[in-house]
Amino acid sequence: MTEPIIQPDLMRISWGPQHPMSGQTRILLDIDGEKVYKIIADLGFTHRGIEKILENRTFFQGVIPIERMVMADTANIGLGYITAIEEALDIQVPERAQWIRSLICEMGRINSHLYAFGLQAEATGYFPAVFLWTTTDRTPILDLFEELTGARWSYNFFLPGGVYKDLPEGFQGKIIKVVHYLRRRFQDYWDALVENAVFELRCNGLAVLKPEDAIRLGATGPVLRGSGVAMDVRRDEPYAAYGDLDFQVMTEQACDVMARTKVRFKEIGQSLNMMEQIANEIPGGEIRARTTPFMRGKEAEALSRVETARGELQIHVFTEATPNPYRVKINSPTLRNMYVFERLAELNEILMADIPVVISSIDPWYLDSDR
Amino acid sequence: MSEDTIINKIKEAHQDQIESATIMRAKRLSIVVKRESFVEVAKSLRDTFGFTQPSAGGGVDYPTENRMQMIYYLMNLEHRVLLTYRVNVPRDAPKLPSLTQVWEALSFHEREAHEMFGFEFEGHPNMIPFLLPPDWRGGHPLRKDFKGEGVTA
Amino acid sequence: MQEESKELRRNFDNVPGSGAVYNVIDYIAGWARKYSIWPIHLVTGCCGPEFMQTSGSEYDMERLGVLPFASVRQCDCIMVVGVVSRKMALRVKYLYEQMGEPKYVVSVGACPTGKGPFYDSYAVVAVDEVVPVDVYIPGCPPRPEAIIHGMMLLQEKIMKEKRIGVKE
Repeated sequence: MTEPIIQPDLMRISWGPQHPMSGQTRILLDIDGEKVYKIIADLGFTHRGIEKILENRTFFQGVIPIERMVMADTANIGLGYITAIEEALDIQVPERAQWIRSLICEMGRINSHLYAFGLQAEATGYFPAVFLWTTTDRTPILDLFEELTGARWSYNFFLPGGVYKDLPEGFQGKIIKVVHYLRRRFQDYWDALVENAVFELRCNGLAVLKPEDAIRLGATGPVLRGSGVAMDVRRDEPYAAYGDLDFQVMTEQACDVMARTKVRFKEIGQSLNMMEQIANEIPGGEIRARTTPFMRGKEAEALSRVETARGELQIHVFTEATPNPYRVKINSPTLRNMYVFERLAELNEILMADIPVVISSIDPWYLDSDR
Repeated sequence: MSEDTIINKIKEAHQDQIESATIMRAKRLSIVVKRESFVEVAKSLRDTFGFTQPSAGGGVDYPTENRMQMIYYLMNLEHRVLLTYRVNVPRDAPKLPSLTQVWEALSFHEREAHEMFGFEFEGHPNMIPFLLPPDWRGGHPLRKDFKGEGVTA
Repeated sequence: MQEESKELRRNFDNVPGSGAVYNVIDYIAGWARKYSIWPIHLVTGCCGPEFMQTSGSEYDMERLGVLPFASVRQCDCIMVVGVVSRKMALRVKYLYEQMGEPKYVVSVGACPTGKGPFYDSYAVVAVDEVVPVDVYIPGCPPRPEAIIHGMMLLQEKIMKEKRIGVKE
């Protein structure tokens, strides 16, 4: 394997693809005793060649491979692709469809943040209780998804021009019940994770990322907002129904691991408020514009940005007068955050036992960075 | 400042060095620059015009016109404008200076563009295999004339 | 291991009543082994969250004895959960060779079974080109009930073995 040359008095260990906490990647650590001098990320273990596959799929079929980039948060990623196609081909979307899209995106965001908490609790001292709480608390959300779209994780529910089906009878009441249940559990999570003495000892002051470094190194998502930079695509360029929903962009000033956890917490609270507002105020109307499954494009290009749970996703689509796109370029948030993770060892002093804590605060999903 | 002002200022400052500078739509700009002044214009974009946050970099292959285009995506934090910074290279000699001297976070993206298209970045600090297996023998996957399964040892 | 078992059986076949004794021992060994299958914790692709929901609270896989474990030397089976790319296929093969006999492979999801939605990709392999597979569980991702059904099929397969490790 071709890797950079290591210094003679450091030991290189490989935290490999088969490890309970590493995920699907290999990370090489150059250590001397307990202190980590250099981190090298070896990505590519889940590379599937999605950008090449999408040149062989029609516009309707293209949502399926692209949704499998992050399984916990498929709504936001599918919406990024669909928004780019609609912009390139000049398709107008009715208003009720935009509100339903926002509802599904917020539910996906809560799903993904709960997953990130479970992993972070497991990394910081193996609290299997909190990990199992998160799997249980995701069940009402997955049941809502199943009733609306038919699938639990990957829905294929968006299409260029709207959404497939309308909300069923009584769905708005169910959303409000789930929102109240999750708000009660919120207090339990705060006490168990954030105000926990062990968690505070391990996480306060660890892996500090100052705002100028975060911007220069290209951080995105809760990593950037945990360093005090208020940047959120839903506020800069409102897409779907975010222009009408009221929410705030959450930031923290402490710039360490605990700040990023608190940012994710508060974002769940904002998403619950948005779900309640959508359930109460959704307008009526049609849910899809008229499009045909094998529509031909025209010569255009479009670049769309959406805010997924991990950060900002940009999709650049080049279309021609064929049923397939010419080129799809996907700029994933985790690839940007992995570069930040590599440089954290040079900016701070990190011990080997802190590596799972730091990496779970960055919240990477390696299928997203490898595409 | 709106996008018109930013684009006009960039056009004034670098008249002979850019081939075209257009506004794609609200909050999206596009600049195609000549290969000789690639790094110089990039440095001025970072220092004078405030494009300090690098997002990504990727390529597009145009085999019929015998060129490949490398695109970098840069963000201006003050006005929240996204710029696509493009350069055209001939398809049989795709050599470019590396932009890691200006924004160091583009290192991963240049490694991936090298594997997928065959761009050669001069001055990149760490050009080793990134996403494909290290014993890959099959060619450059994202080119339009790649129609094979992967070949490994 | 299969040759030794055949040897033993040949030596004891002419002793009257040996068939009944061996049947009882096989039955108890199969019963004990099928209720403690320990798979290795190897999530290779996007079916991972569904696997975690299956070992979570509502569909609890551990009541069947299935405990995901970290060290491969002490495990029984590999559950290949999700897409296997070319780089990861080498590691799956190494893990298969490092496990002790008797060992099983379960392929969870549509992607390791037959490439799934990435059927024309240059970087995806089906896992039965690399290791021999015992049970296939299709789905994208498979529901937790489907994963539990697949593990119960593996339990039936273990119970049907005439000798420990002799697969038919």
